[in-house]
Amino acid sequence: MHDLNGTTVAQDDAVAGTPATPTKAAIAKEDAAAAAKARRGKLFADLAPLIGLAVLAVAFVLAGTSAGTNMGYAVETLVNQSVIVIIIATGAIFIFAMGSFDISLGASTLVAAMVAGLVHNATGNLWLMLGASVLAAVTASLISATLAAVFNLPVFVTTVAMLSVLGAVAAALVQTTGGAQIRIDRSFAREYDTLTVKIIVAVAFLALCVFLFNYTRLGRVEKLMGGNPVTARLTGVSMKLTAIAAFAIAGLGVGLGAFLTALRTPTLTVTSASDIGMNILVAMVFGGMVISGGPRSRIYAAIIGGISMALLNQTMSIMLQGMAGGAGIAQMVRAVLFLAVVWLAASGFRTKVLPR
Amino acid sequence: MTNDVVLTVTGMSKSFGVVRALKNVDFELRDGELHGLIGENGSGKSTLTSIVAGSQPADTGTMIFRGGPWSPATVNESLANGIGMVVQESGTVPGITIAENLFLGETGQFSTLGLVNRREMNARATAALEAIGVTDVNPATPAGACDFQTRKLVELARVMMYDPAVVVIDETTTALGQDGRDLLYKAMDDHKTRGAVIFISHDLDEIMSVCDRLTVLRDGDIICTFDKDEFDEGAIRAAMIGRSMEGHYYREDNKATANDEVMLSATGLNLGDKLRDVTIDVRSGEIVGVGGLSHCGMHELGKALFGAVVLDSGAVESRGVRISNERRAVRNALGYVSKDRDTESLSLSASIRDNIASAGLRLIGKGRAGLITSGAENAYVKTPMDQLEIKAPGAGTIVSTLSGGNKQKVVFGKWIACGTEVLILDCPTRGVDVGVKQAMYRLMTQLKDEGKAIVLISEEMTELMGMSDRLLIMKDGRVVREFERSADLNEMEIIECMI
Repeated sequence: MHDLNGTTVAQDDAVAGTPATPTKAAIAKEDAAAAAKARRGKLFADLAPLIGLAVLAVAFVLAGTSAGTNMGYAVETLVNQSVIVIIIATGAIFIFAMGSFDISLGASTLVAAMVAGLVHNATGNLWLMLGASVLAAVTASLISATLAAVFNLPVFVTTVAMLSVLGAVAAALVQTTGGAQIRIDRSFAREYDTLTVKIIVAVAFLALCVFLFNYTRLGRVEKLMGGNPVTARLTGVSMKLTAIAAFAIAGLGVGLGAFLTALRTPTLTVTSASDIGMNILVAMVFGGMVISGGPRSRIYAAIIGGISMALLNQTMSIMLQGMAGGAGIAQMVRAVLFLAVVWLAASGFRTKVLPR
Repeated sequence: MTNDVVLTVTGMSKSFGVVRALKNVDFELRDGELHGLIGENGSGKSTLTSIVAGSQPADTGTMIFRGGPWSPATVNESLANGIGMVVQESGTVPGITIAENLFLGETGQFSTLGLVNRREMNARATAALEAIGVTDVNPATPAGACDFQTRKLVELARVMMYDPAVVVIDETTTALGQDGRDLLYKAMDDHKTRGAVIFISHDLDEIMSVCDRLTVLRDGDIICTFDKDEFDEGAIRAAMIGRSMEGHYYREDNKATANDEVMLSATGLNLGDKLRDVTIDVRSGEIVGVGGLSHCGMHELGKALFGAVVLDSGAVESRGVRISNERRAVRNALGYVSKDRDTESLSLSASIRDNIASAGLRLIGKGRAGLITSGAENAYVKTPMDQLEIKAPGAGTIVSTLSGGNKQKVVFGKWIACGTEVLILDCPTRGVDVGVKQAMYRLMTQLKDEGKAIVLISEEMTELMGMSDRLLIMKDGRVVREFERSADLNEMEIIECMI
């Protein structure tokens, strides 16, 4: 048996051939420089989305003032555009953080908004409308997560199936009215489609999400799952229960977003909210969210990204006002910026940016 | 060995954030030599060789290979031009077959009109495996379905298939059983006639036995190089550690001790041909060693005891609670340290704090209505970080930047911090240096003294004999013999049971 008990090793000074090494002061200086460089790198990575937001804000103000735009109205439009995306994207961060993906968010928003509209039309009650919207969205989310848990499938796969199902449900809901749309009484919608309502709903939901994501076990285990699902499982994390909880929170966000959508767009067709799913993804990336999830997931990414995207849209619409094909150019600029941000994230931080 | 220099490294430096992995290093490799690199975790061995083999660039420095400048941009470019490397951690892609791994990126050579001739590819893969002595692996098997040893041998076969002038073997033997090690030694020895080998290992006996020259690194510096006739265990260790290392390595006592309480019991475990009717008990204050050849089923046993595999039959219980999945295991104070540390035990992109806290989030939130604050988390993490002397600038350091030994300390820290009562350790000292090993053995002894139960699965017989109260030898999925700790334990007798 190899016995190393009692082994004593001399100082290395006795070792022949030891080369001359840099002085301690020189090493300390180099270490300090390397530490400072690393801190600067991390700080830049953390601040990059905020810097992007600031640049877009400046561009928005410059474009607006030079074009003589009514800035008060422009800001109101900005809030209207961003708040729904922010709410839904904030909830969706719980899904993305664990390395998963929900492609059915837009369809889910549409169905929940339609359900909300139908309930309002049947009862005339605001609270029942809100409850129905949340219930429909949470149900859709939980169906995806539960199917994935039961059949042991990646959640992404079940959300693909849900996308088709929800599209069919939306078409069926519209048919119940006997027309091609679901209409909510405009005067009722206008009464509640106010900045105050939006800000109350957004602040309440964001506060809940920030608390759950940053200060409870749920947020921690989601990031652990996103970082390494095998390690998470071998650390005792219930992948299925965590996924169900994440989808429930995302469903709540979709429900609230759908409620505000129904108030803002009281005439709902099967194409309403069609771009929400993509807007959410773009907003999260603009906000600095790593789409593959994991430890670098940040709940604030949805807020920063949602505002950034609205600023970009507004700036582009001001700058391209009256230009032929302006909408198409705006779309292309947004696509280019999206690719640029993803490329920078992928090359700068050597991390995965695509979901599992 | 000739005196012709095949590779020269001059003034090489490399930093990872605040960590200076290499500091102005000079290194020389001669044709026909088997050159060992040894040093503590984080000394810079893997960094140096990974730069040589093209997996990352140096910050400064130059390389001359076969008389010309050398700066490969990728591992494949390096391999195609004469330097191949078998990495320390898993280097195979799990979702594709062994043959596809062997010809990764080059399946076009078997392709006609876009259709890959799998028969030919598998035949070539079989030949490549047989060339290094591996005869029992089906090349059509997905890599993910193979054990760690097989995957490492596939990586070796892939590198050897190119017959590069220089082969780098980075801390691979700890992933191998004795049979795998023998194959590797033979492959390296054969290769010396055609080129040179750089061999990284923490096993001093092994490296002294197989190498012609030996270079010692410490904290990113090259300390010195020994020729074969200068090999001296004490001098090498002194150069590696650079400080006085006193005290005992393994346990001092020669007597098996344990308390009465059974902490973990497994009854009639069956899992395909991996486990056959395995029944064991582990008591409080006891270290139960499990050894055998690499395919004997011991690694599967570790996972089964933690509830991490679905058994064909049998049951695992801990103090009256059935351990049917990992969640139940953790809730009942079981902890599991995987052999495959980076893949199964750590979230590499997360911080030390996130990793250590991950198993104890309920404890951190206890008494605070589940609220987990940074302050509480930092306080929770500080104790194991201090106790295990994890070398890092802070708890926020990303784990992927740590050395193998410090990573393993983080894994230990995760389980110690949350009050684990039963610790299942699968090759816990794999890829860690002598200093960290000593610290881990001390920790195991301390945990035993505190009444914890430990299952120690290992491919190192000295470790098993040095630490276990009882030693179970497995063969073909069965426990074939049990030895009790005593001064008279005979290594040869144990090995005979294994083979």
